[in-house]
Amino acid sequence: MANPLLERQINFLDYTLSSLWRKRYKNLAVVVVFAVVIFLLASFQLVSNGLLERAQTALVMAPEILIQKMTAGRQESIPIAYAERLHDIFGIRQVVPRVWGYYFDEVTLANYTVIGRDQVGGGTDDQLAQVLSEGRLPTAANETVLGQAVFRTKGLQEQRIFSLFRPDLSLKTLTVTGLFKKESNLLTDDLIVLSLADARDLFGLPDGLASDLMVTVANPREISTVAKKISEALPGTRVLTRPQIEKTYHMIFGWRSGFASVCLLAALAAFFIFAWDKASGLAPDEKREIAILKILGWQTADVLVVRFWEGAVISLAAYLLGCTAAYIHVVFFGSTLFLPVLAGWSVIRPDLHLLPAIHLADLLLLFCLTVMPYLTATVVPAWRCASLPSDTALQGG
Amino acid sequence: MLIELEAITKIYNQGQANEVQALHDVSLQVAKGNMICLRGASGSGKSTLLGIIGCVFPPTRGRAVIAGKQLARLPDRFLTLHRRETIGFIFQRFNILPALTVLDNITLPLLPLGMSPRQRKQRARVLMEQLAIQHREKFPAGQISGGELQRVAIARALINDPPIILADEPTAHLDSRLSREFMTIMDNLKAAGKTIVLASHDPLVTDHPGLDQILDIRDGSLHVS
Repeated sequence: MANPLLERQINFLDYTLSSLWRKRYKNLAVVVVFAVVIFLLASFQLVSNGLLERAQTALVMAPEILIQKMTAGRQESIPIAYAERLHDIFGIRQVVPRVWGYYFDEVTLANYTVIGRDQVGGGTDDQLAQVLSEGRLPTAANETVLGQAVFRTKGLQEQRIFSLFRPDLSLKTLTVTGLFKKESNLLTDDLIVLSLADARDLFGLPDGLASDLMVTVANPREISTVAKKISEALPGTRVLTRPQIEKTYHMIFGWRSGFASVCLLAALAAFFIFAWDKASGLAPDEKREIAILKILGWQTADVLVVRFWEGAVISLAAYLLGCTAAYIHVVFFGSTLFLPVLAGWSVIRPDLHLLPAIHLADLLLLFCLTVMPYLTATVVPAWRCASLPSDTALQGG
Repeated sequence: MLIELEAITKIYNQGQANEVQALHDVSLQVAKGNMICLRGASGSGKSTLLGIIGCVFPPTRGRAVIAGKQLARLPDRFLTLHRRETIGFIFQRFNILPALTVLDNITLPLLPLGMSPRQRKQRARVLMEQLAIQHREKFPAGQISGGELQRVAIARALINDPPIILADEPTAHLDSRLSREFMTIMDNLKAAGKTIVLASHDPLVTDHPGLDQILDIRDGSLHVS
């Protein structure tokens, strides 16, 4: 024989389910609206977490220290000779000049990021090689490594040669020697990596100038100390460290997702006003049902258990539905709703296939923000109604 | 005595501007197995008296002992438990939930008891057979006739096998044939040892020969006929 307490709960759950079924169209509408709100919030959380993890992966190729020349608060080309003034700083392993800029391709209407750097061996090259899916870094003139989107939009398949226009409209032909991995798409999708001389040639930059200098240090724990020494040795420059760049990414994505979350929280608040209104304004039929149940010997707690199950079934169904839809949206549909907002607005949008970063804490937070308030909105009005004397059922029905 | 009321007074909204005294100094005793009728016009206090006998609320003043328990001493939770074990209600408009099936309506009082669906069905089927509504078991209550609804209400009142049956204007919405049928069922219940309190002003009830006592209630006071 089953435990009477368990049997009692099963009876209440059975009553709840049949009660939900009786008002199935109304309840289905609530579940759908609720699930949409949860889907939006969960998608957002999954996409922003996924982007942060991706950024973390992609930042492997970021230099440990970056030196930029500043004039009147604006960045301008830095003389390569500045590198010689850093020889005396203890802890610097390597200084590599880099040219970078944007190239608008009128054929594909895409904006590419061009980076020119020479292979010098050691840390930075190794890090860059880590994010290559195939091939090698450029070693000779007119060789290049491309991001996935550049390769795709230029229509390159077997043929690995393409041309770009110099400022004087003459053509510069390049041979593709490698492709970046999809995992680093967030930072490399629109990227064209050339040798320093080729990049200078493409942008028409004079010899002896670069966009910035990349510094590798011997001991990564001394990055900030070395950066401070560089600042002192090269006044008029801006020295950026990798931790600062990481922090900037976190701030950018955090700000974007925070901004959008505020918009979505407004949707959530609107839903709860609707839910509270629905739940607090118990219909006369529902009030009568509670009065009948009470006069037939149901305790106030019994009525609350039924209302709790009702709220739990609706909110948990919406929660599971919303979270599952968010997972499918992120994994199988490439987060089409939110990626443009969170990942940026460049002409080539990174073609990211995020693996959602699921954090238990986020799921719990979402649960607390959605399921708990709905349960409260369902149970509290029923408690207020069930606590009233049940003699209304005696008043001629 | 199964029902003992002594100098009962009931005041609604006491101390407020809309205070109403529904019962004044009412005393009543009903022995086990008796069937009595409270006769009175609408608003005379019949429903309030049934509410006190039915353990729905305690009196404001006076002593009410129902099936051996003094109501004033029982907190609301125990009042409900006592009502569940002792009282079967039949309401004026039956108070049946129209969207539930006949079976589900009858077994509603059993749900908090932790009884399995099989046990609940068994108990309900015995009553449905006695009241000749077994063919309506799976019908939504909103789709059956008034007479059948009345019998569903009786079955629901009896499902816990309570010693006391209270019926508030039970024939108000029935024709004379169904009203007579109802009184026959009450006679059978009385013969089975149930104590029955009817509140009505329908002559078919008040003139019924099976009644042991008729009490007139006017402006909240009882007068023995």
